[in-house]
This record gives sequence, C-alpha cells and structure tokens, in this order.
Amino acid sequence: MIRTAIALLALGTPVLADAPPLPFDLGGAYTLTDQSGATRTQADPDGHPQLLFFGYANCREVCSAALPLMAQVVDAAAVEGVEVTPVMITVDPARDTLATLGPALAQHHEDFVGLTGTEAQLQVAYDAYEIETEEVFFDPEYGPVYAHGSFLYLLDAQGELLTLLPPVLSPDAAAQIVAKYTGPQS
Amino acid sequence: MRQTVQAATLLAAALAAPASAAEGERIQITGEIIDTWCYFSGVMGGPDAVVGSAHHTCALWCSAGGIPVGLLGEDGEVYMVLKIEGDDENASGDTNLNLASHEITADGMLYKRDGLNYLVVEQVVTDHGITNLNHEDYGVVPGFAIPEPKP
Repeated sequence: MIRTAIALLALGTPVLADAPPLPFDLGGAYTLTDQSGATRTQADPDGHPQLLFFGYANCREVCSAALPLMAQVVDAAAVEGVEVTPVMITVDPARDTLATLGPALAQHHEDFVGLTGTEAQLQVAYDAYEIETEEVFFDPEYGPVYAHGSFLYLLDAQGELLTLLPPVLSPDAAAQIVAKYTGPQS
Repeated sequence: MRQTVQAATLLAAALAAPASAAEGERIQITGEIIDTWCYFSGVMGGPDAVVGSAHHTCALWCSAGGIPVGLLGEDGEVYMVLKIEGDDENASGDTNLNLASHEITADGMLYKRDGLNYLVVEQVVTDHGITNLNHEDYGVVPGFAIPEPKP
C-alpha cells in the first residue's frame, strides 16, 4: 500500500497552488545575518524552498535529531530534483556567533545557513513562529540547555510558510512532504 | 538520538493523503501524553515500553529538550500537540512537562495536514495522572534516563 501511495505521489503535480491555507497562524518576515555576515531575510536569495528550524548549534537535545534530519531531508529532496536550503535561526546568540555558526552547521550539511542577529531582530523571528526559549537547566559539561520549538517549517522561496514537519518523521517521509509542496524544480 | 527515525506509521499517514482540512475540528479525546521521538523511533524500546511510568523520566528529558509531545489516543492514533492550555509556545513548556506520561482528557481543535494529526489543546478537562504503571514490567526505560551521579 505504501508503494502504491509513493507511485501516486510521484505522478502527482505539486500541490503548492492547491494547498489549503495553513490552519496555524505562524510565519512572517524577519531580517537577520547569516554566518558570512550577509543580511538575509525570510526570502531565499537563490530562489529555493527552505527548511527552517529554531535551535542552537551546541544543542545536544532535540537539535541533535532535527539538524541531521534536515540534512537528510535536503539530500533526499535533491534526489527528487528539489533543491531545499536548510536554515537554522539560533536561539542562543551568545554562543552561536558568526564565527561559530558556519563550522558547526557545516558538520551537518554544507548548504546549511545559520542566522543570528540582535535581540530585537531575533525576537521578530521568534514572534513570527511563536518560539519561546527558556533555559531549563545548566549542563556543567556543555553549558545551558534551552527549551525551544522543535518543529521544522517548510517555507517557499519567498519565505511564506507552506507547512510544518515534526522532527520525529523519517527522512523519507519528511522529504515526501517537502516534495509534495515544492515539486521538482526545472 | 542520532539514529534514523523510522516512523513507519507516520510515513504511511503522510503519504496517504494530500494536505487537507484547513479548518479544525473540535474534539474531546482521552489518551496519554507521550514522548513522540522515542515512541516513533523505537530505539529506546517497543511501543509498550516507551510510554507510562517506565518511560516517564526519559519523557521529561525529551520534553524539556524540545521533543514535541503527542497524545496517544484511546483510538491508537497519535495526535501531535501543537499547543496546550497554559503554554504559549508550540512545543515543550511547563504544562507539557507536568503532564508527561499522564492520561488526560483534552478538549481542543484537531487539524489534519499532510496526513498527520495536530492538536491544539484548549482545555485539559481531566488529568488522571500516570495510570499506566508499566515500570512494574519494564523498569526504567531506558535505564540511563536516570544518570549515575558523577564522582
């Protein structure tokens, strides 16, 4: 039954235009700085769909599942002809600096974009996705551990939120959802 | 945590239907607040072991660390909890921590999208506490959820 469903999905056209409005009031504009120091908004400068996550590079909790999952989804989507940019907005700007973000995220995928900014700039992004960050405990070995949102958000190239993905999906399942919304890019 | 998640049930569900149902459906549902990562990944044990009192400590760790919680309904379906009464954010939060492994009756809005169930809990009607005392069968799952004190 799953094989049939995959075949049907492969034959289907992208549902981007037909997708119903997201029932959750999330998403919005932001202006932050990527690991190269360049200003980056919610729009992808290369015109690719984006997989967005709020986390921090030093996170050994949900990020250690979500960031590798994002990398796997990006690779799986690429096989299907969909180029997706993985983006992480930091919830720990004190430790995720311009100097550290890039190398840390590159361990997961070379295309990873890490975003940080001023407290006010980051708050705009947090508010758009209703992200609240709280230090839940201090790990004497690795530093503060934060609770934060854990869903992955699929954005189109303009930064509009298409859907969300729980970080407990398998890479293939997540990639299929991504492909459903974005379709092969010519 | 780094192992590949094989969420077969979610995969099948995600493939089953296109995005649908922008409007939510009000439902009242009874079930257990579960740790979705351990439940679907299977790496910490089978589905009967990664719920209830046996998995309570790990569920606390996972929830605090940002793993989204779900409500395992009496119908066997998992409802991803997007929000819950008392917490503003869409994952983790004190209410989710306090309700980890508890059997609750929730009233809220169900949204189906991409074959997945998303639940916005507007009211916890009844909190029955931890009713699945499966630690008597499984002990602590996983055992390392309660770390050894460092010398």
